[in-house]
Amino acid sequence: MEDIEAFAGVHLGPGTLYGAIARLETQGLIEPLEAYERRRPYRLTATGIAFLQKQLTGLETFASMGLQRLASR
Amino acid sequence: MKIQHYLVRFYPHTWRERYEDELLAMLEQRSLSFTDGVNLFFGALDAQLHPHLGTTGMSLYERIIYMFARLRRSLLTIFCAYIGFILAGLAFQKMTEYDDFVEAARTHSIVGLSFNLVVIGAVVALLAVLAGGLPIAVAVIRSALAQKRRGPLLLLAVPVLAFAVFLGTTFLLEALHRPGNHLSPVWQLFLDRGVFFGTLIAAAIASAGSVCFAVARSEISEKLLRFAVLPSILATISMSLVLAATIIWGLGLRDGVPQLFAGHDGLVGSSTTGTWLGIVIAMAIATMLAAVSLLRGLSARSALRNAAA
Repeated sequence: MEDIEAFAGVHLGPGTLYGAIARLETQGLIEPLEAYERRRPYRLTATGIAFLQKQLTGLETFASMGLQRLASR
Repeated sequence: MKIQHYLVRFYPHTWRERYEDELLAMLEQRSLSFTDGVNLFFGALDAQLHPHLGTTGMSLYERIIYMFARLRRSLLTIFCAYIGFILAGLAFQKMTEYDDFVEAARTHSIVGLSFNLVVIGAVVALLAVLAGGLPIAVAVIRSALAQKRRGPLLLLAVPVLAFAVFLGTTFLLEALHRPGNHLSPVWQLFLDRGVFFGTLIAAAIASAGSVCFAVARSEISEKLLRFAVLPSILATISMSLVLAATIIWGLGLRDGVPQLFAGHDGLVGSSTTGTWLGIVIAMAIATMLAAVSLLRGLSARSALRNAAA
């Protein structure tokens, strides 16, 4: 929760965070690693990486198009 | 025990088996703020509405069995909610059959229109429950006959028996009201209200319980349960419509015929406003239960379809 707050400036509640983790895991986009002192890290699966790549590429295209349009005004 | 431990208990059992320990470990690292507590509660509500969350540790077969059980439970809960709704609807029907209410419906368009909407909604809900429930009842009978089990058949006979007992009680009460039978006011009150309503509610509980028990213990095909979700959607929408129309009916009556609304023409001579409020609250609880169960059922149905694909 602190990590997300630090890099995105958004406070994510525990219910929202674990709702997202459960959904991402159900969709096969993330997978759990071995628990360390009761805390369990997660990592992206191959499907998750491909999905994230696609989403970020789309965002990049969208952002660059938006910046170009703004620059031409 | 800390508040977060209590809040986490609102999550479904399967979800907790998978995530509880790591979630609590995270929560124990900082004090839980009020907003985080509320967020955790809504997270639990979300998990309750989406029973497929937290099932990743299960095998495909276990997941299908689990979702099938959730779907069946959701449909049975909608059925029970409908029975509760029917009881409230019966109270409304009983109250509005008196001449004053009939006259109010005739002379005040909002009261009349909302009353007609209640009737239409009730008929649609009944048809929807029959459309979804009858094929399941036939499947229970077939399954019982194929396996030569009398239990489910006897359980399905309970509603008929309960109705017969209720009718018998009504006739008995009528017989006690005949001239010549002198009962003390206390006994009269006990018989009129206690026995009548007690028998009605007991018959409804016994009927709903036995049907649920029979369905839960029978082999019902997944296809049949998945089909039953569609009539359940219609039944829940109809219940919402009847609830809204009942609220509008009461508000229309309050504005149009305030002396009737403020009078004592409710059930067994009680306050009209009180009876109307009681009916609305009962209908609202039943509708909410049906809506929540429908969302759970839809989620389970979708997860079943994905698992089977």
